[in-house]
Amino acid sequence: MEEQQKQPNTTELDELKKQCEEYLNGWRRAKADLINYQKDEAKRFEEMMNYSREVVIGDLVPVLDSMELALRVETNNDGLQRIKIQLEDMLKKYGLEKIKVSPGDPFDASIHESVGEMEVKELESGKIAAEISSGYKLKNKVIRPARVKLSK
Amino acid sequence: MSKILGIDLGTTNSAMAIMEASGPRVLENAEGNRTTPSIAAVNKSGERSVGLLAKRQAVTNPKNTIFSVKRLIGRKFSDAEVQNDKKWLSYDIREAANGGVEVKLGDKWLKPEEISAMVLAKLKADAEALLGEKIEEAVITVPAYFDDSQRQATKNAGEIAGLKVKRILNEPTAAALAYGLNKKKNEQIVVYDFGGGTFDVSVLEVGDDTVEVKATGGDTHLGGDDFDKKIIEYLVSEYKKSEGIDISKDSLAVQRLKEAAEKAKHELSAALETEINLPYISSNESGPKHFLMKMTRAKLEELVQPFIDHSVELTLQTIKEAKFDVKDVDEVVLVGGQTRMPAMQEAVKKMFGKEPHKGVNPDEVVAVGAAVQAGIMQGDVKDILLLDVIPLSLGLETLGGIFTKLIEKNTTIPTAKTQVFSTAADNQTSVEIHVLQGEREMSADNKTLAKFILDGIPPSPRGMPQVEVTFDIDVNGILNVSAKDKATSKSQSVRIEASTGLSKEEIERLKNEAAAHQDEDKKKRGLVELKNTAESTVYLAEKSLREAGDKVPADIKDAVNKKIEALKSVKDSGDAEAIKKALQDLSQELQKIGEHLYKGQAKPEEGQKPEDKV
Repeated sequence: MEEQQKQPNTTELDELKKQCEEYLNGWRRAKADLINYQKDEAKRFEEMMNYSREVVIGDLVPVLDSMELALRVETNNDGLQRIKIQLEDMLKKYGLEKIKVSPGDPFDASIHESVGEMEVKELESGKIAAEISSGYKLKNKVIRPARVKLSK
Repeated sequence: MSKILGIDLGTTNSAMAIMEASGPRVLENAEGNRTTPSIAAVNKSGERSVGLLAKRQAVTNPKNTIFSVKRLIGRKFSDAEVQNDKKWLSYDIREAANGGVEVKLGDKWLKPEEISAMVLAKLKADAEALLGEKIEEAVITVPAYFDDSQRQATKNAGEIAGLKVKRILNEPTAAALAYGLNKKKNEQIVVYDFGGGTFDVSVLEVGDDTVEVKATGGDTHLGGDDFDKKIIEYLVSEYKKSEGIDISKDSLAVQRLKEAAEKAKHELSAALETEINLPYISSNESGPKHFLMKMTRAKLEELVQPFIDHSVELTLQTIKEAKFDVKDVDEVVLVGGQTRMPAMQEAVKKMFGKEPHKGVNPDEVVAVGAAVQAGIMQGDVKDILLLDVIPLSLGLETLGGIFTKLIEKNTTIPTAKTQVFSTAADNQTSVEIHVLQGEREMSADNKTLAKFILDGIPPSPRGMPQVEVTFDIDVNGILNVSAKDKATSKSQSVRIEASTGLSKEEIERLKNEAAAHQDEDKKKRGLVELKNTAESTVYLAEKSLREAGDKVPADIKDAVNKKIEALKSVKDSGDAEAIKKALQDLSQELQKIGEHLYKGQAKPEEGQKPEDKV
């Protein structure tokens, strides 16, 4: 029995070509998605590491605050002073950096937060008059702005 | 095609998300945060700031820091709401020529939508920087109670920010979308949204592809911030009672107290008690004073119970207005960070008698829903490769009637998995491959898909032959199972067409059954595994005795034999403890053979871990 040779008509051929293209694209997309996902995953892991570090160090900042407050009262407590330096050095190793503030500096909301105003004769209005609590950066990301009072 | 940004433009904070192939993704702003304060400001030198930076200078620049503008947008100046808010807003507002509201920022009078536009423009710019592509279109959410004028004004804000607003979406609808509730049919949904500054409750009805808002209610001045204030008040008064010092006037102390109060509130969602410890909070004549106080969850709940009760009242009232009964409500969705509080979840659960939806981060759920809507509209998740998952686990029967899963349920197909098995008896020349489907631990409780035999395995001790079994399931759910003896390369296979051909109800039934029998099944399986271990240890012991021959003194041999008999006598008893005991005794006795044989040499191998036997 002779098989009848069926000529595929053009519409069918086009249809198949289109389908073929669609499937191939789908496959490419899936493969690309996987590769991208793997890359994203690596990045996310890195971010997670940074984030968890940020959380831990961020939680330690109030401890540094307390030490600063303590030293304002107990100015001669040498032991506490040393413990504070020890903790600061340790945190510095992980990238924690204190934001430096001096009276007369211009206010910059990217690193400062204003918490009030005070009268300072020799200062221009709107300049930083005093630091209330220290601010910290972790690898260039502000984890807490320096809280400052501005001159009236 | 560029992406459509989903934006939750909130009263206090805003959030944004986009739809990606893998699902919605919340985007961080330039400061690295997932929410952005809805605040805009201008400083004395005329520089503008938006978001967190605007918030950081708010205290010293109250006149030119615009917040809560959502309370004003699209309203008439004469509205009671506006007149009410005017009293406490720190910036100036006035009536515009068209009767609307204008706010003063710097030396200009602006419309509220222009302020919202600044927030939207920041979100747009931050999203573009993060994604590295232009964003031109957005879906923006608004409260369900917003009227046409408020919606139009919000839309205008988007346009001013350079965004083509594809849709103004109701916040509760967005929350429902985030949970995929739009796919439900004829359901009543209550969205309970307890935010930082506002409480909104909405009753929705989902029909065929439509979500209709049946009623809205709430309190525009009730939120999580009230909780914080209440806690601070309590702490201040307690401290005054115990130490006689009023710390509410000391701005640094209040700042520290505020942070501690927020932290305590968060911690008490997980723990029953927390300690608030603020050294050197103040000082008096006698020297420095510290703040140390324990706070319990019960105390917190006592403090805020009136707020929760009020929200429950408002919810019931809204349901009534929708002409529904509480028992008509099919789904409840929680929105807003404050809903993390266990007492609040409990109150909602009690009110409806059902567990509310709360899996998506409640601070982000509206933005996520906006992204879902954006995804539907951009339709670019053109997944011609819609991949299915297998509904039930597939595996085979191993020694003692245990069901060993090869492909776990919910695995995306096509997929393949290969595992090597061995024989259970000496000189076993054939293995039966019994292919099963289900979630139960024992084969007998699962559904048989096929059985076939692989023979011609060369006679060898048990555990020696390596039979490689492969489960390959194609995109149509057709399962091919093949078994190959690695020594002879002889193989046998079967093709199963209907591996996924179960009805939804049947799958549910099987899953429920598995869950119901979980504990007893585990016990049964544990017992069989113990018996298998017992048998293989007996086998190992007898083999060791044979191989040791005369090298081991008769007394050791007798002792081992005794323990073997003891184990044999209990292994089929079904008494797990007895088997374990006998097994341990035999293992200890067996070690003596090793000790004797290898005295002074390397230690004997530990009891061989029994392999899976087919």
